Amino acid sequence: MPIRDSSCALPANRVGERRTVAPLLLCLPLLLLLLALLLRPLAHLLHQSLLLTDAPTAGITLHNYLEIAAVPRYRRALLWSLELSLAVAAGSTAICLAPAWLFTRYRFPGKRLMRGILTLPMTFSGMIVGFLMVIMLGRAGFVPQFLESLTGRPLLSGVGYQFPGLVLAYLYFEIPRATLTLESALAKLDSRLEQAARSLGAGHWQRFRLVVLPTIWPALLSTFAVTFSVSLGSFGVLLVLSIRRFTLLPLEIFTQYLAPPSDHGIAAAMSLTLLTIAFATGYGLRRLAGRGEIRHA
Amino acid sequence: MPRNAGFLFCLAVTAALMALILLPLLAVVLGSCVNVSLLGLSSDLWSGNRHELLDFSAFGYILEHYGDWAFFSLELALACVVICLLAAVPAGYAVVRHPFPGSGVLEELVLLPLSLPGITLSIALLSTYGELRGPLLVLAGHLLYTIPFMFKVVTATLRSFDVARLEDAARSLGASLFQRLFLVVLPNLRHAMTIGSLLVFAVSWGEFNVSFLLNRGRPQTFPAVLYDTYTNQSIQISSAATTIFLAIVIPALIAVQWLGDRETADLEQGA
Repeated sequence: MPIRDSSCALPANRVGERRTVAPLLLCLPLLLLLLALLLRPLAHLLHQSLLLTDAPTAGITLHNYLEIAAVPRYRRALLWSLELSLAVAAGSTAICLAPAWLFTRYRFPGKRLMRGILTLPMTFSGMIVGFLMVIMLGRAGFVPQFLESLTGRPLLSGVGYQFPGLVLAYLYFEIPRATLTLESALAKLDSRLEQAARSLGAGHWQRFRLVVLPTIWPALLSTFAVTFSVSLGSFGVLLVLSIRRFTLLPLEIFTQYLAPPSDHGIAAAMSLTLLTIAFATGYGLRRLAGRGEIRHA
Repeated sequence: MPRNAGFLFCLAVTAALMALILLPLLAVVLGSCVNVSLLGLSSDLWSGNRHELLDFSAFGYILEHYGDWAFFSLELALACVVICLLAAVPAGYAVVRHPFPGSGVLEELVLLPLSLPGITLSIALLSTYGELRGPLLVLAGHLLYTIPFMFKVVTATLRSFDVARLEDAARSLGASLFQRLFLVVLPNLRHAMTIGSLLVFAVSWGEFNVSFLLNRGRPQTFPAVLYDTYTNQSIQISSAATTIFLAIVIPALIAVQWLGDRETADLEQGA
């Protein structure tokens, strides 16, 4: 590109100097913020998770992490968190494939409006979604009352307080994330492959299973990773619904701090366990997705 | 409009998802001001004036009791916008147009909070800066989750070809780095900065997971108002608070949609 090459016309030493010092200066505010607000706190949290809250001078120990596995309440919270996040991530990735496909492959009136509606819950905290569940599927929610006026029986009453209700609530705020992530991945796909398959006589389902699915699996993996890690860290839904026999790891951390006396060492260990799972899943799946993309390129 | 089976199937699923999103919102707005017993629904949970169809008293209650909280939340969101612009725009420019050793790591680091659980960062901030607990620490938590949005929109725009080419032309005419920055790059980033600011505002206004524990005393952020009404108040007052929340966040998100499709499609949203 001739325009870019023209930069070589500038004196070499001037360019070199500016290329290192000036960009660093421009990054300085952001760098300082990240050091102070992200790296230092995370290092401090790691340190805290390795100390005993009762005896901070006793030295470094993995006791707090072992406690998560040993105490039934914490172990259950961790397992339920994993279970719920897996269900929600799988469900939202599969379901949101439809709108993402619709928005990338077809032109039709009203597309922008539909896309706008699906991205609405993007900044809703889980807590709001929890309240929406109470209103819609609580014991006196709109849906049971409406069904009662139709059938005479309060069908679906209190579903919001059960596992399917939780999955539905999580799906609510995962829709924008799943749809946008899938959409940006599908937009890069080459639709000529399908046309070729069609010209060779493949039907709808055959084209989807044999041509589309193998090409979009990296997109599915990265969407799964995004929705999984978001679900794993969310606790607002349960905070509002407060189902007694059900708890999640982030909610355990939250209540440790909300209601003293609290064990800060355990809370730190649970926070880092959560972070490690979210990060490892995201990183692992994205690497897998990256390899897939190269293979299909 | 296409009429094949795949299109119709996708359209049906999308319509169902739209209903899933919109119906509860409609119910909330309805519940905040309409006497639902007059619509044939039981009003056990719904308090307020039983004789009038419309009753806006819940909104008055919210503004009276939580008005300063709403104001605090708005101030916080605006502070986030200003700081994000100051920190993320120059850095985004440097990382895209003048990469230096370690700029790739910096880029990963900025986006990192989006893929980490909010509660973890909240506890991390709290355990490190416990004595600062209050508005300042809330701002810190909000910044962690808003900067990535501004940074992503700005870098995505800078990676589009037009800005780069304009800047190269200016450089070939002898413009210095800072001349190019203020005369070429920033004017071309106005659109991205507007979208970024709206996103930052909306994210900050809705943020609860990271910031709730970081505050102490009053006033709290507006999502904390929601938490307070959900746990202590009637459905009608909770609905009114939620309606106020929606009335501020939805216009911001609509504006983002209108201003840019491409930029927002590339964002992988965080918690």
